Amino acid sequence: MAVVSLLAAFLCGMLSGCRQTTARRLDFNADVQPILASRCFSCHGPDPEMRKANLRLDLAESALRKRQHRPDAIVPGHPEKSELVKRIESTDPHYLMPQVAHGDAKPMSAGEIAKLKAWIKEGAVYRPHWSFEAPVRPAVPVSKTDGAWVKTPIDNFILTKMEQARLHPSPEADRAALIRRVTLDLTGLLPTPEEVAAFGNDTSPNAYEHLVDGLLARPTFGEQRARCWLDYARYADTYGLHYDNSRDIWPYREYVIRSFNANKPFDQFAMEQIAGDLLPMKNLDPLIGSGYVRLGVSSNEGGTIPEELLVNIARERTEAFGATFMGLTVGCAVCHDHKFDPTTQHDFYALSAFFNNIDEKPFNDDRPVWTPVVRIPKATNQTAYNDVLAQRSDLQSKLNEMRRNSRSLVSQWIASGKNPPRPVSASGLAIRLRLDEGSGEELKNSAPNANPATFHTSTLKGEWGETTWLWPDFRMQSSTRVLMGNSGDYEANHAFSSGGWFMFRSAPFHPGSFGTLISKMDSTQHERGWELSAEDGFLSVALVNQAPKEPILGKQEEKAAKKGEKGRKEQQAKETFNYPSPQDLSKRDLAPNKPPEQKKAEEDAAKKDKAEERAKKKPPPEEPPKDKTPRVAISVVSLTPLSLDGAWKHIFFTYDGSGRASGIQIFVNGRALATQILSDNLAGATIRTQAPMQLGWRNPEEHPAKDARYQDVRLYDRALDPDEVERLPFEDYAAEIASRPASQWTTDQWHVMSEFYLNHVDPSYQAIEREIVSLDKQLDRLSAGGNLTQVSWEKPSLAYAHVLTRGVYTARTERVEADTPHFLPGLPPGEPHNRLGLAKWTVSPANPLTARVAVNRMWYELFGTGIVETTEDFGIMGQRPTHPELLDWLAVEFRESGWNIKHMYKLMVMSAAYRQSAKSTSRQLAEDPRNLLLSHGPRFRMDAEMLRDIALQTSGLLGERIGGPSVKPYQPPNIWEQVSYPTSDTLHYVQDHGDALYRRSMYTYVKRMASPPSMDTFDAPVRDVVCTRRQRTDTPLQALITMDDVQWVEAARALAQRVIHEAGPNPNRRINRMSEILLAHDAPPQMAAALESSLQQMQDHYAKDPKAAHSLVEVGEKKRDAAIPASELAAWTMVASEMLNLDETINK
Amino acid sequence: MKQHPLCTDCENPATPLDLPIPAALKQQWASVETRRRFLGRSGKVLGWAALAALFGQTGLRSYADGEEATSGEAPNRTSLPHFAPKAKRAIYLFMSGGPPQMDLFDYKPQLASQFDKDMPDSIRGNQQLTGMTAGQARFPVAPPHWPFGQHGETGAWVSDLLPYTARMVDDLTIIKTLNTDAINHEPAIMLMNTGNMNAGKPCLGAWLAYGLGSMNDNLPTFIVLQTKTNPKENNQPVSSRLWSSGFLSSEFAGVGLRSGADPVLYLADPAGVDRNVRREMLDTVEQINRQTLADVGDPEINSRIAQYEMAFRMQSSVPELVDLTREPQSTWDLYGLEARQPGTFAYNCLLARRMAERGVRFTQIYKRGWDVHGDVVGTLPILCGETDRGAYALVTDLKRRGLLDDTLVIWAGEFGRTVYSQGGLTKDNYGRDHHPRCFTAWMAGGGVRPGITYGQTDEYSYNVVKDPVHVRDFNATILHCLGIDHNQFTYKFQGLDQKLTSPVPASVVQGLLA
Repeated sequence: MAVVSLLAAFLCGMLSGCRQTTARRLDFNADVQPILASRCFSCHGPDPEMRKANLRLDLAESALRKRQHRPDAIVPGHPEKSELVKRIESTDPHYLMPQVAHGDAKPMSAGEIAKLKAWIKEGAVYRPHWSFEAPVRPAVPVSKTDGAWVKTPIDNFILTKMEQARLHPSPEADRAALIRRVTLDLTGLLPTPEEVAAFGNDTSPNAYEHLVDGLLARPTFGEQRARCWLDYARYADTYGLHYDNSRDIWPYREYVIRSFNANKPFDQFAMEQIAGDLLPMKNLDPLIGSGYVRLGVSSNEGGTIPEELLVNIARERTEAFGATFMGLTVGCAVCHDHKFDPTTQHDFYALSAFFNNIDEKPFNDDRPVWTPVVRIPKATNQTAYNDVLAQRSDLQSKLNEMRRNSRSLVSQWIASGKNPPRPVSASGLAIRLRLDEGSGEELKNSAPNANPATFHTSTLKGEWGETTWLWPDFRMQSSTRVLMGNSGDYEANHAFSSGGWFMFRSAPFHPGSFGTLISKMDSTQHERGWELSAEDGFLSVALVNQAPKEPILGKQEEKAAKKGEKGRKEQQAKETFNYPSPQDLSKRDLAPNKPPEQKKAEEDAAKKDKAEERAKKKPPPEEPPKDKTPRVAISVVSLTPLSLDGAWKHIFFTYDGSGRASGIQIFVNGRALATQILSDNLAGATIRTQAPMQLGWRNPEEHPAKDARYQDVRLYDRALDPDEVERLPFEDYAAEIASRPASQWTTDQWHVMSEFYLNHVDPSYQAIEREIVSLDKQLDRLSAGGNLTQVSWEKPSLAYAHVLTRGVYTARTERVEADTPHFLPGLPPGEPHNRLGLAKWTVSPANPLTARVAVNRMWYELFGTGIVETTEDFGIMGQRPTHPELLDWLAVEFRESGWNIKHMYKLMVMSAAYRQSAKSTSRQLAEDPRNLLLSHGPRFRMDAEMLRDIALQTSGLLGERIGGPSVKPYQPPNIWEQVSYPTSDTLHYVQDHGDALYRRSMYTYVKRMASPPSMDTFDAPVRDVVCTRRQRTDTPLQALITMDDVQWVEAARALAQRVIHEAGPNPNRRINRMSEILLAHDAPPQMAAALESSLQQMQDHYAKDPKAAHSLVEVGEKKRDAAIPASELAAWTMVASEMLNLDETINK
Repeated sequence: MKQHPLCTDCENPATPLDLPIPAALKQQWASVETRRRFLGRSGKVLGWAALAALFGQTGLRSYADGEEATSGEAPNRTSLPHFAPKAKRAIYLFMSGGPPQMDLFDYKPQLASQFDKDMPDSIRGNQQLTGMTAGQARFPVAPPHWPFGQHGETGAWVSDLLPYTARMVDDLTIIKTLNTDAINHEPAIMLMNTGNMNAGKPCLGAWLAYGLGSMNDNLPTFIVLQTKTNPKENNQPVSSRLWSSGFLSSEFAGVGLRSGADPVLYLADPAGVDRNVRREMLDTVEQINRQTLADVGDPEINSRIAQYEMAFRMQSSVPELVDLTREPQSTWDLYGLEARQPGTFAYNCLLARRMAERGVRFTQIYKRGWDVHGDVVGTLPILCGETDRGAYALVTDLKRRGLLDDTLVIWAGEFGRTVYSQGGLTKDNYGRDHHPRCFTAWMAGGGVRPGITYGQTDEYSYNVVKDPVHVRDFNATILHCLGIDHNQFTYKFQGLDQKLTSPVPASVVQGLLA
């Protein structure tokens, strides 16, 4: 890439030279904006933080406006009056522009100054950036010369451009070269000599078109396209961070191959990947495709902070989406408004919000199954499965439709006056902490006649607004205290109730934090008081006179509980999943893969170390003496644990003042839980204590519910009816909202009303949901034993994100709703602000980028350089298209063809431009050294995968199977081991054997933290981030691979065997056969002579050294043909290796 | 210093025609190639600095400015190095995992009296802790288990765990106030190496390879060595992205030098292929490639021929590099016998010295295992035992050979550790969590002021109280020692002038410079 840009200056100079001779008006986008962008925008561009002198030159309205007390920057028509011109022409170093950060000016060149002056003279007309205006199909130009050369409209564009530069197209490549090129481009493999011959002999006028059609229909076409797409989608087999464990997502790769082979329209292909989970489904493809969103790196590092991970994940996906579909470097706006493009920070985070609402944990638990996942039915059940899936999809569409229309449904409901939400009486409400303050250390008690009216957080203030539930939430930090004085100071003969909304925060290796939720209990006074707490998911309430100093659910209760029907110990809170993740995922599904077998020596060493350690270990310190305080209390505990799913839960208890355990009831989400009694011997003893009532702790600093989130915490000094408790989670708040006119409702409040309406008011929604649940069971059953793959699944919540100052995850400022960048067309009307809306927007006709970006990448794949060279950046700092009209023509053609991918590839390879001979003349090299004007055909080194694939193909080793899990072919030892975490499941590379060694390279396992070295060396990207343009380096390390890698040596030997069999004993014919196989033509005399002379020397050598010959021909696991004498085979192996290493072989 | 025969660097810049290619080929290049084309290709061998110097103001610039992407004309050429460098090469001893600064360098005698007392909340402030200790109810102070002593003429304090390092303190520039933005390994180790917490950016070594080029035609410009792991230690992973070239051309990525039969991947000829066979094979390939060049006219073919030749030379020069049989007894006296064992830290240090002699621009040695969450008393002596002598031997050896003056040696991890104990604290044991706010590193050699201790932390080794050195400042300072102005050393990618020290402004720490 770097080498490539090095020469751009030269070419640009040449092109602009041409323009000047035609003396046409300047084109803002082509001539002026690049200068302004590179020279001025860093201080006078979109980023307000960096803006100097309050002057902004990227927008006409600000650049041309009158400025008070300052000279006018640009006066249209009058360069001499424009301050900009005075500044760039100044000789005073303090006045001269542009200045750079560290003081010295970097004056513009005379050419740049001349252009800017001419542009101002012409009226200083601004135009929107070229790629932000929707493409319009331009008229196909008519060339003045060489018209006969033209074969497709593409060629008219190419030819006119060449004419301007006074270059001429090259003749068509010979048939052999043509079939080799087009077969490589469309299938990633070489044509067989038979195919070459057949094409050579086909005299029909549309022989080439037949050839192309045939190639497009081959399944290897899908593989070749998918191979490229996997770079654009950042596909890999591991998570990429810390343990870098394996992930289950290879079915996505199959999906991509399948999609290309079925010629799935690109708009559908794109929509499935962005939002397949929200599309109607007849089979699982859309869902599998939605794995695209989740392909990025992800972490489970022990110390990571979940909120930081969440922000990183959304950011990664946003940057990937920007690169894959928009061709924009949106990530530049993570920290500040983009310096050059109009992408603001607000734009970036609004875009990131689309990816911030997936039903997943932010950490992957180091297991291959990072839910949501889907289980793909085996072939035998596929039809039955798809039937059920389609039914489910229909029902889901109905629900989605209701959700989409929920505002009008809610309005109708409210207007009808039927079933209005009923509030819970505020009678006896002593404390209501809504915790919606959003900032600060003061918590308002919004109970009527609240006394006191506020509480203060102490030690460390809470964290506000990390997530949204009813409203942006409140989280207790590890040492936040909320002390509520003598509130809740009741005797056991007094009825009271308390609880609220809670969310237990979980982090890698900490499935949930549990402890005291609300208490007025004094651990310095034998735990006197009352408390609501959770332990391993079991909720308990206790009113205590005295108790031993142990958690409320201490050993004694455990014993008591074990006497019950089921021991609680055995019963652990089960992880529950939402669709599409199967409900019956087994423990094995959910466990991290074990590291593969350790090497014996290492194992022994570790064992020895452990033994030594054990020997050294001191006896554990004696436990402190047990507290013998007898327990006097009433307490109950739930029979079943809460699931540890990180969801918000409304937890509440009521107590009737009876002094008996039976007077306590615990509710979750408004429903009473079955409980068992742990103690019931209070017998009128006091529970009153001086300790303050607290959130999250037992006085003074015991039994914390670490880092839990809270909303709407209440204390009533009465026992609420079950009916009232049922209304607490939503209905009470809904009633409050409904008491005000809908016009005043916030988006969050609308959301609460919709949720309440759908889940509690409208019976049809609930009925459909029940139907869906039963279908899900069938789906689980029908997919039993199938492969799992990670997918996206949208949560019902609103998609929000926060603008983060400098991208720091804790520095939240504005909360923004999911939306598209302001400088591009908005979401199509009526579309929801979620990924489905984004998907539709991406492929909408109004979107100026998607089609251009996609056709440009196709062009890049075939011609080696995009029409926009910076395939990843269509923004202001990206390269301008070499053929802007052609790009727009292709983009419109693509869209209007129904996003027909095969049509576009065919169109391009049918062009005369593509079919040209790759030979270059010295004039072409001098005038257009990088062949940007395409005066000759493309010629460049093949990509890593293609090189290995053709070595396997030509030697007859290549397997033809398509798809399947990744394979581990040959790799030098100790690549993974020396970088991996010792317990990683990708610590040891366990090489496969047999057919797996010879599959196409796109199936080679990609471990992100140690990618396959033979691919990496040939510039295959690591897949940490999206790569839309590979580097094309040429290094000695590459030569070492093609000369020495077992895979290549084995291929050379197999190729030698092949020609020995196919060409008979004549050395000449064998050499010629190799040339036919690898180069698609006969060996020219000089080549044949060189190889023959080399063969002679090799034969002499290996005849004298049979041991060496034997060693060489035994390389690799495929058995050699023992019928061929080793020395003969060795000599031919070296000749084959020579041929495999030819420049001509490794170039397309 | 006597020039090693394999080091081709000299005061006079090399010319492209010094490339080790056949004379006939050179002639052919001159006739076929445009000058630009030629430059573009040979830069990777010669370094852009040398090329820029060679061709002066011809309008061709090094990779380093690259604004040609959007403006038709060439702006001012940036030449590298920007000023006379003090160091020509660097060796980076990377202590992955985060060594505990208060147990090794950051001497806090008053901690002894604080055993098991709670660290005041005011010291921690509103810091967001890692998931590993955030839930801890207490943050009890764990004073270092080992005594410290004052050493050298400068009287620097060093733990008794580092007796060899203690001997060379007068050569070291000890920085106590390095600080970082990340509290977990993955982002922190990325930030330290690439200046950014997220993947995709080039590492320091790649920047140097790109900016300064090679001083050697037979060895890679940037070499990475892994130290064998010890199962007793908590070995956090490292990954190739730490030595990746990011958006720079991948030829600038670090090349792993491995202990074992193939020091460079795929270096060894296959079984049954000897040097003569390889030579014969290469001659034939070259002969045919030259024919192809004549036919097709693609100048890339020249480059391919040269790369095959370089590969052939590497097949000899790399084995020569790792062949220690001719090292004198004094080497083993200095490095210890462990240095004979491939993969040990001492062995890697010895190789680093041999690479410095042979003109390798940047060597990075990774030593994993410093992530002492628990059992500091058990593991830290092992870690120090593995690394102390090798580091000392390397600096001393370079000094004896006159190489230290123009070699910068750096010792650092990705962050430090907490003074409070993670998990249980007893008199004989404790653990320490990650700590980004201050940690200790040292440098020695070309460009830095020997014998100083820079910066000051608070009494808990928790916060910087004087002279903070952010990772970005640290990197800016390293570049400065190598003659590079970090602000001018940019590469245009995604429309931005990317640099090692972006995006927040960084500055060279003048107090560290000689």
